[in-house]
Order: sequence, then C-alpha cells, then structure tokens
Amino acid sequence: MRMWCVGLLIIGLIAFSGCQPSDKTTDTATDDTQEADDTQKAQQDLKIAVAAPLTGNAAAFGEMIKKGAELKEKEINEAGGINGRMLKVLFRDDAGKDAEASLVAEGIANDREILAVVGHFNSACTLAGQPIYDAAGIVELSPGSTNVTVCEGSKWTFRNLYRDDFQGKFIAQYIDNVLTDLETVAVFFDNDDYGRGLRNAFVNEVEKTGLTLVASESYERDTTNFKAQLTSIKAKKPDAIFISGLYTEAGLIVKQGREAGVTSQFFGADGIDNAVFLSTAGSLAAEGTYITTPFLFGEDDPKAQEMAANFEKLHNVLPDTWAALTYDAIGMIAEALEKTYNPEAELAENRSAIREHLAVIDTPEEGYMGVTGLTYFDHNGDTVNKPAYVKVVKDGKFAPAEKQLLELK
Amino acid sequence: MWAQLFEQLINGLVQGGIYALIAVGYTMVYGIIQLINFAHGEIYMFGAYFGLILITVFHIPFWFALPLAMVLCALLGMLIDYVAYRPLRTAPRLSALITAIGISIALQNLARIIWSATPKTYPSDDLPSFFVSGISMTGEVINAIPLPGGGTLPYRDVFILLIAVVLMIILNLLIYYTRIGKAMRACAQNATAANLMGINANRVILATFAIGSALGAVAGVMVGLSENVNPQMGYYKGVAAFAAAVLGGIGSVTGAIVGGLLIGIAEAFGADLHSGYRIAFAYIIMMLVILIRPTGLFGKATSKRA
Repeated sequence: MRMWCVGLLIIGLIAFSGCQPSDKTTDTATDDTQEADDTQKAQQDLKIAVAAPLTGNAAAFGEMIKKGAELKEKEINEAGGINGRMLKVLFRDDAGKDAEASLVAEGIANDREILAVVGHFNSACTLAGQPIYDAAGIVELSPGSTNVTVCEGSKWTFRNLYRDDFQGKFIAQYIDNVLTDLETVAVFFDNDDYGRGLRNAFVNEVEKTGLTLVASESYERDTTNFKAQLTSIKAKKPDAIFISGLYTEAGLIVKQGREAGVTSQFFGADGIDNAVFLSTAGSLAAEGTYITTPFLFGEDDPKAQEMAANFEKLHNVLPDTWAALTYDAIGMIAEALEKTYNPEAELAENRSAIREHLAVIDTPEEGYMGVTGLTYFDHNGDTVNKPAYVKVVKDGKFAPAEKQLLELK
Repeated sequence: MWAQLFEQLINGLVQGGIYALIAVGYTMVYGIIQLINFAHGEIYMFGAYFGLILITVFHIPFWFALPLAMVLCALLGMLIDYVAYRPLRTAPRLSALITAIGISIALQNLARIIWSATPKTYPSDDLPSFFVSGISMTGEVINAIPLPGGGTLPYRDVFILLIAVVLMIILNLLIYYTRIGKAMRACAQNATAANLMGINANRVILATFAIGSALGAVAGVMVGLSENVNPQMGYYKGVAAFAAAVLGGIGSVTGAIVGGLLIGIAEAFGADLHSGYRIAFAYIIMMLVILIRPTGLFGKATSKRA
C-alpha cells in the first residue's frame, strides 16, 4: 500500500515537472501580444557564443575566458550596445574534450540566433568544431588554440594569438640563449593535438640549437600518476624538462617529479599559465618553473591596466592572459557586427559578413587594437605578429621573468 | 640501470598497494554473492571526495578525516547493497550486474553534479607536514628517503605502503579469526547452507560491502594525497584494480593483493620501456595469466572463497 502511494507520488511529480516547459510554449502560442514582444526582444539582442572548457581538466581556463567575455559584454552594452542593439554572449561548455566540442559545435551551428563563435580553447576542440562551423558558415575565432593546423584549410577559423611552431621555437631559443647553463633537455608531452604539435616544434628547434635532446616521453590526458615516466626521464639526467601539456597534469608532474628526486629545471608553455598549476604542484615544487605566455599585463601599459582594474571590480580577481585574449576576441566580433550586421538580411548572410570583415584585416594598419596588442590575420586566419613572454614562479606566484626574449633568430 | 629498476619497483609497489586495496573490494563481494560490483570504483572515488570535504570544508585533522571517510564509505557501500542489490538477490545474475553498471554511472554523474568535473587536490597546508615532500633545486631532500641513484622515496609513499600492508593483515585476521569472518567464509562456500545454520546472510553481505568500501576509501584518500580527485578517477583505477582481482583469481583475497601488486609493478616497468603503452603492459600480463590459468593465480576452478 505504501509502495503504491510512493509510486503514484513519483508519477505525479514526473508528470508535473514534465508539464512545465510545455505550459510555457502553449502560453506564448496563445498569447499573441506576448509572442510579438518576445520576438522583438530576440531581434534586438545580437547573440554570439563563447565555447570553452567550463568544466573538466581545463576548467580554470574556461572560467577566465567566461569572465573576460562577461566584462567585454558588459562594457559594450553599457556604452549603448552595437548600433543600439544589446550584445548577448551565450556560454557553451565543451569540457576540453574533442567529442564534446563536436556536439557543442552542432548545437551552435543549428541555433538560428547565434551569429559567431568565440572559441574553442583547446586545440583539439577547435579542430573538432572546425568542419561543423565550416559547413554551417559561421566564424570560429579562437582565443586560445595554438596548434599549427587549427586555421589551415578553413575559411571560417581565426585566432588572435601565436601558433605553436612559434612558441616551440621560442622556448628552445629561450633555454639556449637566456638560460645558458642548461644544455640537455627532455620533453614530457600530452598525447593530444596541442601537446604533440608543441613538442614537435620544440624538438625541431632544439636540433638546430646547441641543446641536446635526451628524452621524449608522452602521457595520456587524465593520467594522474607520472612517477614511472619521471623515473625514466630522470635516469637520462636532463638539465631541463619541458612539459608540453595543460596545468592539471603539469602540476602533478612537477609535484611528483620533485618527490621522485628530479632536480631539473621545469619549463612549460601557455597551457600551464594558470594559478591552479601552482596549487596542484604545491609551492615547494612549483618554485622556479618557467612558462611562456602570449600576453603580460605590463605595468606601463595603460590600456591593459585599465582593463585589469575593471575586471577586478567586476569579478574580484585579477584577469589572466586568456581573459584578455577573449576580451579582445569579443571586441573584434562586436566591431565586425557593428560594421556588417543587417537586420533585414538572412542569418547566413550576417554570419558570412562577419567572416568577410575579419578576412580583410590582414595588415597592421587595418589591425584591431585590443589590450593584447594589434591583431591581424594572415591568409589562413592565423595571427603571426604577436610575441611570446616568459613568466617564472617566484615566491609561489607567477612573475614576469627578468630577461625576456622579444626577437627570435 | 639497477638503481632505476629499483626505483621503478618501488613506484610499482606503491601504485600496486593502492590497486590491492581497491581490488580486495571487488573480490570480496564476488566471493560472497558472485557479483562483479562495478560501482566499487565509484565508492573509492567517493572516498577520495569524502576525505577532501572533511579536510577542506569541515577542517577536520587528517588523522580523524581518514577513519571518518572510511566510515562514510562503508555506509555508502551498505546503502548501495541495501537499495540496489538486495532486491535482486534471487534475480538472474545478469540483472544484478547491469544494476551495478547503472549504479556506477549514476554515482559518477552524481559526483560530477555535486563537485563538478574539475579535478581537485588535497591542500598541502591542511595535511600533516610530513606528507609534503620533494627535492629543492639545490638538491635538498625534504620529508623523503634518499634512494641509491639519486631518487627519493617520499614519506607519504612509505605511509601508503605501510597502511596497505597493515590493512591487509587486519583483513586476513578478520576473515580467518573472527566470527564475522567465519560467517563470511561460510556464506562464500554455500549461502543456503549458511542460512540454514542460522547465519543471517544479508547481514554478512552488508558487512562485506562495508569492509570492501572502507578499504576503497583508504585507497581514495591515498590517491587524493599523491594525485588528484576527479569524478573519472574511479573508472581508471577501478578498471586496473578489477584487472588485478581477475589476475589474482576473483574471489580470492590473497589473489587480489598479489594481483594488485603485479599490475602496479607491470605498469611501472611498462612505462619505463615505452611511456605511451604504460597501461597496456599491465593488461598484457593479465591476459597472459588468464590464458594459462583461466581462474587466475589463486583462483580455484570451483572457487567461492571470500
């Protein structure tokens, strides 16, 4: 008897919760005036999507990307929007995984209101989304993917930061020219598009410089125990270990490496540029680690300082590189919308007008001046003018390295 | 060369100790109700989260948080048995197996909802200081034992190995020298007969789940200390531990311990040979053993031992 009552209650609950959304649709369908209001409002807002790893192994990046986008959205709307229309940023979570990214891309491509995409972050995700966005004819502007092939062969894919062939070369030259007492290097890389691509670029350059590569080991994403690989790297006695991967794994690698008695200098790339790296590794192990990054909030850069102050006011944390790059990417799309959006035109025309606008930004004179510097694209949609900077962990925090390397050989 | 192999052996033993702690949970449940409890990996994952929450949210010192996490996990294991498996005791075995897979997926997603998919780490500030170890760049070794050949063995790993050994000894004493242990062995041999002799089989099964889950919690907290905590962790370590249980002969506690250590060592040496095939080596060893001895190392053809 009691079971029966509980069963009935559950059925009732399911029926009740199932009813709610359908109630809403019948409401709007019957109430003509409200429907008119709704569509008018929908027409007013210009919607763009930000696709980022809001959960998963790169979630700390996703969080900064989201906050950067929110700041730019707020600033644009407070300044009167885009030709009188409000900008609405929709966030989509790809969890940093390529399979999720394809699903997210399908959803965005089929959404009749989304005009452009800022994203994805992980190279593997941007690559997974690329064919879908290409087929739908929608711009994919990545504020974080650095794999060399991301923009190749796609009219619709752009990025506003450097590529890994540049970053890998830069790291090798930095170790060779600035950290001169390091002679032998090892690479420990994440076996995905980002980690492999960056490793290849690094190894190519190492062969050209005076450095010697003594070990190259890989790991799979989601691995949490690296002791065995680290022991075998340690046996080769490298002066420096370059970790080509993301901060979750890199933090554990540095921590477990120091625990296993590895005394080598650790070096990482922009995939490690997040405070979670420091908390994962622990202050003892993280100290002295060098990383590269596409952007530094320079003391003498008023534009960057102003953005950082506004960001802190809104979110109570300081922005990082990815927040700044996303902020600029949203700015570029907003500028494109301002110049090209035609309320009378079809969705496909508006989407493609954004692409046409971005594609002609191909010289420094036409470039978009954001907080991260001047952005303009080459024929692939890559940004090739932006330099890399070096940060070092000092007293448990990332600080700009004393010596930067702004010119490559 | 030898120093490196010795270090890998130790890496493997530490990892293997954790596999053994988890594998025991699989094998005990199988021994008693012939059910492969696929949700066991998730119990271990919850153990890691319980430890983390107790330390970071409730600010309970580590030495109290660990036993408390064991108790919470034991309760979780018993709850799962009571809610999901007990109603299916007389149903075909396949129904219980599918339920186990369902519970595993449900728990994994529950963890994702509660704690999100973002990996978390045990904050080193809130742990006993000897857990924080390493070598500074000047070569100063902190909280670790120097090994020949330049390696170091953190005190924490020594602790993991010790606690695994101690718990295994306690478990063996419990199974062979206590009333509940005797009842477990009786149920494993013949549940119906044990019931007729006045043993409450359901209570014995609950106790089995409680013990297996508590050991899983210890493994979870240990992994949380040296690695990180995330909702998928139960899957990765769970599969390896399951392989260890099968390798040792599922149903045999000694087999689970030996199997766990073997899988751990095989992984470490595998990674030394080729880092990309780290886990593959462990499974190759398992398959070879199963090919030669289908019942596993310690399994008997008619094995139903706890």
